[in-house]
Amino acid sequence: MEKGKIRRISGDAWMAYALLTPAVLFFVIFMFYPIIYVIMMSLYQTNRLGILMNFTGLDNFIRVMQQETFWAVTGRSFVWTILAVIVKTVLGMIIALCLNVEFLGRKTARMLFIIPWASSVPISSMLWRWVYDHEFGLLNQTLISLGITQNPPVWLGTPIWAFISCIWVDIWIGIPFMALVFLAGMQSVSKDLYESASVDGVNAAGKFFYITLPSIKQIIFIATLLSSLWTFNDFNTIYILTRGGPAGSTDILITAIYKSGFEWLRFSDAAVMAVVTFIILMVFSLFYAKMYFKGDEAL
Amino acid sequence: MKKFLTVFLIISLLAASFVFSAGQREPEKPKVTVFWALYDGLTEAYRTELQNAFMAEYPDITLDIVPVPWDQMYDKLTTSLAGGNPPELSIIGTRWIIELLEMDAVAPVEDYVNQATLDNIFDGTKEAFINGKLWGLPVAAGARILAINNDITTKVPATMEEMRQEAIRISRNTNKYGLIMPGRKHTELTDFAYYFYAAGGDFFEIKADGSYGKSLVNSPAGVKALEFMVQLAKDEVVPRGYLAQTRMEAHPVFYTGDAGYVMIGAWVESALQQAGAGFDVTYAQIPGFAGYDSAPLVITDSIALFKDAKFKDEAGLFLDFFYRDEWKARFDELIGFPPVTISAAELPQFQTPLYQVLNEAAAHAKPWPLIDGFAEMTDIIWDAISFAFLGQKTPKQALDDAARAVDQITGF
Amino acid sequence: MMRITWRNRYKFPVFLLTLALLLFLLFPFFVMISTMLKSSQEIYVRPPYWIPLALAFDNFIKVWGEYHLYSYFRNSIIVGLGTTFLNVIITLPAAYAIARFKFYGRSTILYSLLAMQMFSPVIIIISLFRIFVRLQLLDTYLGLVLANTVFTLSFTTWLMFGYFASIPKEIEEAATIDGCSRMGTLIRIMIPVAAPGLVTAMIYAFITAWNDFLFALSFINAQPRMPLTLGIYQFVGRWSTQWEMLTVAAFLALIPVLVLFFLIEKQLVSGLASGAVKG
Repeated sequence: MEKGKIRRISGDAWMAYALLTPAVLFFVIFMFYPIIYVIMMSLYQTNRLGILMNFTGLDNFIRVMQQETFWAVTGRSFVWTILAVIVKTVLGMIIALCLNVEFLGRKTARMLFIIPWASSVPISSMLWRWVYDHEFGLLNQTLISLGITQNPPVWLGTPIWAFISCIWVDIWIGIPFMALVFLAGMQSVSKDLYESASVDGVNAAGKFFYITLPSIKQIIFIATLLSSLWTFNDFNTIYILTRGGPAGSTDILITAIYKSGFEWLRFSDAAVMAVVTFIILMVFSLFYAKMYFKGDEAL
Repeated sequence: MKKFLTVFLIISLLAASFVFSAGQREPEKPKVTVFWALYDGLTEAYRTELQNAFMAEYPDITLDIVPVPWDQMYDKLTTSLAGGNPPELSIIGTRWIIELLEMDAVAPVEDYVNQATLDNIFDGTKEAFINGKLWGLPVAAGARILAINNDITTKVPATMEEMRQEAIRISRNTNKYGLIMPGRKHTELTDFAYYFYAAGGDFFEIKADGSYGKSLVNSPAGVKALEFMVQLAKDEVVPRGYLAQTRMEAHPVFYTGDAGYVMIGAWVESALQQAGAGFDVTYAQIPGFAGYDSAPLVITDSIALFKDAKFKDEAGLFLDFFYRDEWKARFDELIGFPPVTISAAELPQFQTPLYQVLNEAAAHAKPWPLIDGFAEMTDIIWDAISFAFLGQKTPKQALDDAARAVDQITGF
Repeated sequence: MMRITWRNRYKFPVFLLTLALLLFLLFPFFVMISTMLKSSQEIYVRPPYWIPLALAFDNFIKVWGEYHLYSYFRNSIIVGLGTTFLNVIITLPAAYAIARFKFYGRSTILYSLLAMQMFSPVIIIISLFRIFVRLQLLDTYLGLVLANTVFTLSFTTWLMFGYFASIPKEIEEAATIDGCSRMGTLIRIMIPVAAPGLVTAMIYAFITAWNDFLFALSFINAQPRMPLTLGIYQFVGRWSTQWEMLTVAAFLALIPVLVLFFLIEKQLVSGLASGAVKG
């Protein structure tokens, strides 16, 4: 941005505040206030209705952090997020590359790829539960009739497969967003660049790594950041598919929060884990945003 | 610029006042909200008819019967209670009543309904009778039974061991499964309880004053039950995917005629009908282990009245209305549960072989323990079962760990 | 139009790869189509098969009429449109302010917009419920609209900010010189130029609201106010699920969203990208 021009209107700061007032008010009432309440709950003893009883400082944090499961769940949240975002990015990139080539039916294909993103997460998760069904599910039936395996895995039954199955549903839902955003970025890359590269005899892979990737670097940054935040907090998928089982092998922080709060009525424990989640994501996004905004004087 | 700003501020204020005024209108007439659990077999038509019929009889009252999926019922109730806006009435699993009492959230329902309505309900089903007061009317109460697919086997097992032998025979000689055993965690611990109670187990020791003591889930009965379940899995008499099956996935395997035995509730008959099953079924008691009496699990659901609700008297009127034979008996018939009211029990539709077995089972059935925090304990015990199934712990180890965790909650 | 020669060579393999990926990713969708055309007796059959014996179209009639799907549809549309409208009202001035004014706290606001994405509705739902009880917003469309707006606003503002920032200031200046007021510039110049971004933001808000489940579950008791996602859950019983009904409802719920995507597909893609890049 050109500084001079901004300075010209900077006397209008008061107007900027006025324009921002509705948005800020909205966030304060419906977002910040509830979040402050969550923070309070983490510092107080609460009753089974989530009402604050007496101030106990960091006692709740100490108690929760002494639990082995807390650390297991937190660690799993990281594995979950990192794996899912990497696969989403790679598959999204492949699809975007495909769709960037002009072939017959490209527009239709682009529409069809959106379907997983367009349907509601709880409903998609239910649908996957039906797909994964061991006795009546068409997935296993198809695997058998295609001769891929005669002994398909019990998808949601064993710890490893359950984790893979859950993470795949999360990935499946997240791919279209990635693909769309990447595709948009690719289409904004000047075609002259590719032309001149062709003249210089650069092959397709070279073009991808030396032209496409650098040009959409910023888009990849922002898309993976958003995707990480969304993936870390993906609650519906796991909850509907496994409720965190078998034997806790698919529990991540957000499902543990839900379980502690809504099912066990331990609101303080849930609040502690929520605050931990805030801190983790805050640190992560600050770090990430710093990289992203690096050198951008707009900030 | 100034003009724009003024306009903008006015619009914002208007919008804000809209937000706040939108809620200000009080309902002009009493409104009774009922959280209505979606039992299988309960039709939408029934819900609408009940709602309309009540409002036709009491035009001064608005009745809102809110259909809630079972999986979401507890969470929805928690949110509305924690948020300070409970419904008038809700169908609950009776064991939740303890938590609700702990929260001081329920009102004694007996103070709001007619004596005649109360007298018409079997005393044995009034499980929510605690500290001398009745806190919820039983809405569905049924003991669990054993259903046998006669196309596969006609043997009525006298003991658990006999059932296992027959299940092994079925699995070895046919392409059917011997028996159904859901192995994936869901909200209830029913599948463990069948075996646990059959081995004479109890979840807690009962102290002299009648209160609960230490967890007995790792007692010899518990270990015997879990070892038996693990053995059934090893025998490969249960569906191969049992680890991924809650009852929602598991029971249909019986409905399709692919399994010999299933331990199930009264809804089995309507479920079989819906699935178009073409085989004969015998109903029998869930057997005990050798040397133990049959002790099937009995599950009751109740309808509770909430203390902070605005229209409790009107809610009482609805309960009186709902418990008439015209409505309650039809409800029982739809969901396939034995009636809880004396007058309905005499109706011809409840004199079938299934209901005879159910009545017999009720005589020696055992309910869930009524203890605060059972939802969390259920989760702990389920995890122990999973550990044992997966071979990560022996049944004894898994249950010892579970018992320790449960005792930590209860403070023993 | 300029042809990119190197691409031609890859056309056919890419077509095949795309087809394979589609078949793979749309698998659950095929299962949905197969299931929704089966009768209730065909759902639980072992081994399962793809083609229904007879196409059970009466599933559609049942779901639409007997199970009130039309009323859930209507509610979802009202909530979706309301959320979209509220988003636009709040987001336009806010995004414009961030993009065009320099003021103290600007970068904080930008960071917060991003940070807002890290709060899950699960965490604050109980506090939100208490606020809604106080404001008597339970069982109202307005309540659902507000809740959904809270969780879409940061993303839509972010998108619009990127769009406004990408419009060259010269256009705006020219208008100012021509005697347009600032408000006039916003309405006559900025919004039309930023229209694709605005459309993207609106669609995003609409779809998020359309797909919301948790808010509806928590804030709506009255059946006549229930949106589609909640209505679909009627088919999940205590002991079994009516898959044929559930898939019909899921399919019908998907259609409006796909139509919307189809209409704005181009703008959506470029909108997402510029929102992301120009941050």
